[in-house]
Order: sequence, then structure tokens, then C-alpha cells
Amino acid sequence: MTSQMTENKLSVIIRACRLVRRMLRADPEARRSQLMYYSMLEEYFARILRAKEEGGFLVGHTVFFPAEIIYAMGLVPMHTETATWTMALFTGDCSDILASGARLGMAQEICTPHRGLTGAFASGALPHPDVMLWSNMVCDNTAKSGELIMEVCHCPGFLLDRPFKRSQHEIGYLVSELEDMICFLEERSGRKMDWDKLSEIVARMDRQIELVRQINELRKNVPTPFRPQGFLELLTVDYLFPGQPEALEYLETLHQELTEAVREGRGAVKPERFRLMTFFIPPMYLMGFLDRMSRQFGAVSVIEPFFTYWGEGRLEASRPLESVAMKSYMIPEMRMYGPLDERALNAIVQCVDDYKVDGAIYYADVGCRHSCATIKLFKDILAEKGVPTLVVDCDVVDSTVTPEDEVREKLEQFFELLEER
Amino acid sequence: MANVQDSGLSMLERFREVNRTFPRNRELVEWRDRGGKVFGWLCTYVPEEVIHAAGVLPIRIVGYSQETDLDDGNAYMYVNNCSFSRSCLQLGLRGEYDFLDGVVGGSTCDGARRLFDLWRQYVRTPFHHVLTVPRKYTDRAHMLYHCEVLEFKQHLEEYLGLKITEEALYHSILLYNESRELLRKLYDLRKQEKPPISGAETMEVLNASFRMPKEVFNQWLADLLDEASRSERKSSGRVRLMLVGSVLTNADFVRFIEDQGGMVVTDELCTSTRYWGDPVVLDSGLSLTEAISRRYLNNFPCARMFPSEERFDRIIQAALGFRVDGVVSQTIRYCVPYAHDLPLLEKRLRECGIPMLALDIEYGTSGSGQIKTRVQAFIEMLEAKRR
Repeated sequence: MTSQMTENKLSVIIRACRLVRRMLRADPEARRSQLMYYSMLEEYFARILRAKEEGGFLVGHTVFFPAEIIYAMGLVPMHTETATWTMALFTGDCSDILASGARLGMAQEICTPHRGLTGAFASGALPHPDVMLWSNMVCDNTAKSGELIMEVCHCPGFLLDRPFKRSQHEIGYLVSELEDMICFLEERSGRKMDWDKLSEIVARMDRQIELVRQINELRKNVPTPFRPQGFLELLTVDYLFPGQPEALEYLETLHQELTEAVREGRGAVKPERFRLMTFFIPPMYLMGFLDRMSRQFGAVSVIEPFFTYWGEGRLEASRPLESVAMKSYMIPEMRMYGPLDERALNAIVQCVDDYKVDGAIYYADVGCRHSCATIKLFKDILAEKGVPTLVVDCDVVDSTVTPEDEVREKLEQFFELLEER
Repeated sequence: MANVQDSGLSMLERFREVNRTFPRNRELVEWRDRGGKVFGWLCTYVPEEVIHAAGVLPIRIVGYSQETDLDDGNAYMYVNNCSFSRSCLQLGLRGEYDFLDGVVGGSTCDGARRLFDLWRQYVRTPFHHVLTVPRKYTDRAHMLYHCEVLEFKQHLEEYLGLKITEEALYHSILLYNESRELLRKLYDLRKQEKPPISGAETMEVLNASFRMPKEVFNQWLADLLDEASRSERKSSGRVRLMLVGSVLTNADFVRFIEDQGGMVVTDELCTSTRYWGDPVVLDSGLSLTEAISRRYLNNFPCARMFPSEERFDRIIQAALGFRVDGVVSQTIRYCVPYAHDLPLLEKRLRECGIPMLALDIEYGTSGSGQIKTRVQAFIEMLEAKRR
């Protein structure tokens, strides 16, 4: 029963990726980068599925975790939150794994990506990792998720304790935590850290960040060349493939495609009417619908200050571990999850000007306390710039929270408002 | 005075008065009239001794202890943040904490972090500082937290234009340790078969403890202990209970449990045992700031800390020490650290033969119908088990 369910859930994702690729091949307007993206996604989950039978060492890890280290050691990473919301994306219904989480005694207050994740492990919908790594980089859900997963999966685990601020002594502490984690992984997996490989990965990650910055530069153009919800691809590539050759290939291809589109004046939506700023993640089960709405109304997300908008800073291959530590402070999301200082708030204002933003959509995930606590603050900042904000109450995984009709009505009203302005 | 027989303890009235009139209680007003500064702290990982040694009165920022509307808190913070943080923010936005000269937080939980962010943006208390609080107990975690305490001390000195001397720090440590020792004695009274002071009354004392100068509080508490130990008062509760979980300042909630026949004899709350739990250990060869930082990181842990076993072990140790029949866990909705711990804690308690009742509540709530039914059923079950 357990192994059957495991195969089913991952197989669904893999089959869905194949299907999308077939559809894209038949679509004359599809870009090569899209095909590459789904191919990468398919291979990522297929690798997890194959890990046990091929003698791979499967490492579960939470969001923003420095997977560079896992790759450098030749281990198989499994990004846990992405696994949950990819299930939601491709199956549209996560009620079974959420129910499984509830049976473990997990309260409703725990966000669905984590409730669903632990439920997925308990029901066998995802393979059990050989070790679980988690961190406090985002929120209490990630910081507290590991111990129950260890219990459910009967596996050892490691909490990466990442300091809140970025003073020198805090960065030093994080480096020492990374060193401890490497020792832990070496001990458990029997594999040694390949420091040369880590340096190579860090060098590629630096290039990866630079490419995202360049892609964002292209997105400033009117009309903007990148697909309405395309930023989720950037996000997923960043989460699943940090410093990996396929990520660079994807981003370089995408950059080339967008450069051509800009040169030819081709926009992602025709005509482009509304340039949007997006906060947080749209509900996965509504992605297709949101894409259609965007095209229908000529609305496109041109920037996501806390998802794709990388701050300043470079990674140094000669100091790989320090760079991995520094990267954790450079990640765009960390402006929101870290101390909410003026620098973080100024990024919003800067983005409005640079990307000629007409309006903002804030996906208020009911399970995400961090992102919801800043709705008013960000809305106030945007209002001062004359930019209206639409707040869409939703859940990134649970399709029962917000029906499609409700979102449609809200979006239509919002686009009408933007039109009137 | 739930289920505690005999006449009242006169000293309790003084603590109640502090709570009833806060923030316009006489002790606070007199302090400010003398030109004293007052800083608010948001979490028990903030080292009060450092603030006190700077000549500033540290008080704890809490929300409404009773049920109330949280319109402003909801508007600014959204309903999926815990009602404690929303309630605190509500008071801040309504100007109830306008007298504060500074606010100090820690990177302890999501609610505390966001409360600090929004407080800084919208309440605009002049001084603000947030400490990184590690989640581990390793040597390096201790070194990091010591650096954080030193940085905080330096920030305070710069802001106030003074030097926090070793002598002042030493004096503050002694004062706060004295307070902890007195509170330990108060809790020891509750180890008795029929304690002379109830759980609700203890919470009233504790609420006052972070709303007034410790110099005065210690004297009052010493007087209360004297009065209580001479008193003939006896609790009539039928079962001994331990209260665990999220932040709680509502003495009426505890009183409600005791009214159903329970005797709350101990707890694991950041507003009580986890607040006063361990002393700062001096004479250990550590500098004063290091001794302080060690105390705060090693103290009875919050659910945020790792590994959770440390917290579970101490809960079980307390449960056994106070001979409790059962544990009542109260989790404020959206208090995620405690929600995550529940399945594991319940399992650990079950293995020790200690039943647990898990309640989902809102901060400031008193016993509603459903909670009453569940508490009554739990107490009846414990009574049956005793027989």
C-alpha cells in the first residue's frame, strides 16, 4: 500500500511533466526554455523516485536550504515544500495528504505545505528521506517541521540554525552550522564533501543569480517579454537546481529568448494593459486559470520584490562555504522573512519605479503568517506611490479554501479599477 | 480565589491593583515621575538585567488579558497571526504603550518577529532593538547569543549616553535572582497537598511581576510568602494539574479551570515558570554578560528551541515534582511552535502515564461552553483514574 502510493504521487508529477512537454512541442509559440523547464522538473522527481533502487542517498530539505552542499556531496535532494505544492499543481487535490497530516495530530494552524508534507510521508505518498534537513530561515513552520518528520520517517535529521540578522558573528555562526551539517551528512551517508565541486557549484550559482538579474532587466521593457506567471519557473529553478548546469542552460536560453522578444517588440500578453507586482505564491491549483485570466485581461507580473528580485552581492568560488552562508542573506525572500528594515521596504518602492508597476496582487496564504502580517504595511507603501493592491485570500495547496469564481470576480474588479485609472 | 478556602491573602490585593491599573499603576507612574525611562520587552529571551542595569525599568509588553475586539490588530497583522501578537499591537496602536521609551524583541517566533516589525513601523517607540536568539544550546550558540547580549548592551549605552558598569550589572543580577528565588518559593507552596494559593492567584502575582520595579515587587512577594505560609488556606481542588503551552496572562482562564475542580499547581508558560525558572549563575568563572546570556539560552525552553526533547524532559520533570494528575495544554490559535510540538509531547506524556488535554484557545479567552465541557470531562477522567 505504502510503496504503491509513493509511486503514484511522484509518478503523477512525472507523467504530468511529460504531458506538458508533449503539449508544448505541439505548440508553435512555445519557447525552448519551457520544454527545458519541464524536462528538468521531470528528471528531478524521477531521480527521487529512483534514488532507493539506485543506491542514492535521499536528503529531504526545507525551502531556501543550501542544497548546493547536497549536490556537492553527490546526494539526492528532495525539496519538501516544492514536492507538496507540485503535487497540488499537478493533481489539483491534496485532501488525502492533508487528512493524513491531521491524523498525526497536526493542527489546522500549521500551513498546508507542511501539514501536507508530513502527511505525505506518513501515508507513503512521498518516499522517506534517508536524512531530513531543515532550517529556521523562513518561519516557525520550517523551523519546527523536522522533528515530527524524523519521527514519522524514522530517519535522523539536522536543524540548520540560521541567525536572524547578518552581522559578522552571525555569519560566522552560520558557517560553523554548515560545517556541522556537512559532518553530519558525511557520517550518515558515508560520502565525503567534494570541496572542488562545491566551488564549481558556487561559481555557477553566482552566474545563475546574475542571469536572473539580467532577465529581470529585460522584464522592465514595455511590453514585458516574460510570461504572466513565468516567475514561478525562476523560483522553482532557484529552489531545486542551485548551481546546477541545467539551471544555467535553462536561464541562458530563457535570457536569449527574452532578448529576442524585446528586440522584436513582442510582449508576453497582447496587448499589455496592466503591469503587476506579485507578492507571495498564487494557489497552485489555480495556475492554469490565472494564466488564462492574465492573457484575457492583458495583465502580467513584471516583478516580484521578494521572490525574483535579487539584491546586491556576489558569491566567491574561492570561499564556497562563506558564499553559501552569504547567499542565504541575499535571497530575495529574505528581505521579507528577515528583519523588515528600510532596505526591504525601499526595494518595493524601487521596483514600482523601475518596472512601471500599475498594480499589485498579494496572495494572502492563510497558512503563512509572515507574509500576511505585512499586507497592510506593503499596501500602505504602495498606496503612497499611487499603486493599488488586490489581496486574494487563498491557500497555496488546499483547493477548498478559495473557489475559482471568487478569484475571478476579485481579479475582474481589480482590472476594472486599474482600467479606470 | 478559585476553590481555595479561607479568607483572602491581603497582599494579593496589592498585586491585583497593579494589574488593574496598568499602565497607570502607582509604581510605574512614580518611576516615570522621577524621570525614569521605561522599556518594553516582547519575549522572555530578552535579558532584563541589562536593561535594568542601564537604569531603565523593563516591563513586559502584553495584550489585553481579557477577551476583546482586535480590530486594529487584525487590520495591521491579519487574523492568521496569533491573537497575543495582535492584542499587543492593538494596545500599541491605541496608544496604551505610548509611555515606552524603547522596545526590545528577539527573533524568537513568527508572531514576536512580526509584532516587532509592525511596532517599529506604526507605534514608533523611540528606541528599538532585536536580538538574534539561537535555537540550539551548543557552545557556538552560546557564543553567538553572548555577542548579541553585548551588542544590545552597547546599543543601549550609545542610546542612553551612559556606561553600564559591572557593579550595576552585578546588582541587577542579584535583584532578578532574588525575584526568581522568591517565585520558586511561591511555587514550592503549591507542592503541598492542599496549596494555600491557587494557580489563578499565582498568575496574578506573576502578571504584576513584569509591570513594576523588581525592588518593590520582591518586597511585596516576600510579604505574601510570609502571609501565605502562615495562612490556613487550603485548596479544595480534586485533581492536580499542570498548565503548558502558549503565552497566557489571563488569570480568569486559570480560575475557570480551578472552578471545575482542578488545582493548577504548576505550569510551563513563558509568563510564569519559563519567566522565572533558572537563576543567573555567578561565580562560575564567566563574565557577567556571559552568565546572563547563558541563563537566558539555557532557561526552561520555549517550543522554538531544538531539540524539543529538552522542553519535554523539563515538563515531565515538573509534572512529577508537583505530582500532577494531568496536563492541560492550551495553544493559542496560530501559535505554530506549540502546535508542532503537540503530537510529540502527547506521546512523551503518554509514555509517562500522564494524560493530556489539548485546548485550542485565543489569547485572553476565558472558559467558553465547549472548553468547560472538555475541562470537566478531563477532570472527571482524572478523578476516575485516581480511584
